[in-house]
Amino acid sequence: MAMNPMEQFAIKPLIAEPVLHIAGHPIYFTNQALLMIIVAVVSSLFLSLAVKPNRLVPNRTQSMAELSYEFVANMIHSATGEDGLKFFPFVFTLFIFVLCSNFFGMVPGSFTVTSQIAVTLALACLVIGLVIVTGFMKHGIGFLKLFVPHAPWYLLVLLIPIEVISFLTRPISLSVRLFANMLAGHTMLAVFAGFVVSLGAAGGIYMGVALAPLLLIVAIMLLELLVAFLQAYVFAILTCIYLNEALHLHDHH
Amino acid sequence: MTAPDPDRLTDLGKRLDEAQQRQAAGAKRPPPSQAGIAGRFATELVAALVVGGGLGWCIDWLCGHFGFHTRPVFLIVFFVLGAAAGIRNVMRAAAEINAEIAAKSASKPEEK
Repeated sequence: MAMNPMEQFAIKPLIAEPVLHIAGHPIYFTNQALLMIIVAVVSSLFLSLAVKPNRLVPNRTQSMAELSYEFVANMIHSATGEDGLKFFPFVFTLFIFVLCSNFFGMVPGSFTVTSQIAVTLALACLVIGLVIVTGFMKHGIGFLKLFVPHAPWYLLVLLIPIEVISFLTRPISLSVRLFANMLAGHTMLAVFAGFVVSLGAAGGIYMGVALAPLLLIVAIMLLELLVAFLQAYVFAILTCIYLNEALHLHDHH
Repeated sequence: MTAPDPDRLTDLGKRLDEAQQRQAAGAKRPPPSQAGIAGRFATELVAALVVGGGLGWCIDWLCGHFGFHTRPVFLIVFFVLGAAAGIRNVMRAAAEINAEIAAKSASKPEEK
């Protein structure tokens, strides 16, 4: 039985015909699009229905929604201070979307949206775009001071390009970190699952040996659940840190 | 049933407050794991090299487009600048992690 651990990341059109054409390019409705819609619909329905009864003493579902609200609000407050809270809707949506995508990807047989660099890079570019727009709206042309460290002028010739490159690195490192973590975790799971299948197919004594990778999968699954949460958290906290730099230039120096 | 001892009650209240504070400090940030730190440094470094090299390559391509044959000059220069930016990124990330750990150990000194 040939098993390809990378097969789970393949993007397949679910409807044979293109849904629409943009500038001559056919746009298909793929498994990725379906999962993104499911994530968006389920998370917004869950959060809005959970707080609908508006109990004074929350039940479990309502506390889940309230705790995630408080968690993100605390995170923004500690990273950017009071005036960062106006970005709460953006950061909360981003956090919940990444978190739910990661968790939906953990369901066996489903598809991990965040294991596609196209998705994570688009999210990261959205974040950096917001940072740039916020910086220019708040500080005007003075936002460019972000690229000018405190140094004598002859060093600035060298340091300004370095700072600009360092800034341009952010969308890449932000997206690659999320994408690489999800890709590596799910590939590892598929590889160990492949071991179980091949050892089981070998029969005899190997059937007993197949138990070892099976138990390992359970452990990795738990680890992956932690990674799924941690990567969503890292994505959100880095968004806050970058927004903080745009809001308060050089305050951290 | 005996009446609750007021000393024990205030003591319990104090311990509850302490536990809550500890939890609030700890809940804000999951601890950065060793592998997480290593992964962060690696992506920062490599991403800066890629961005620097890519930028240099683009400038070379643009110059070639306008008839100046500068090819590998900007690529090399920006690759080196990218390496410097990568080290800058790693230093910044290290400073952030240090600040995080310092804030955490400051909030619960009893564990030191």
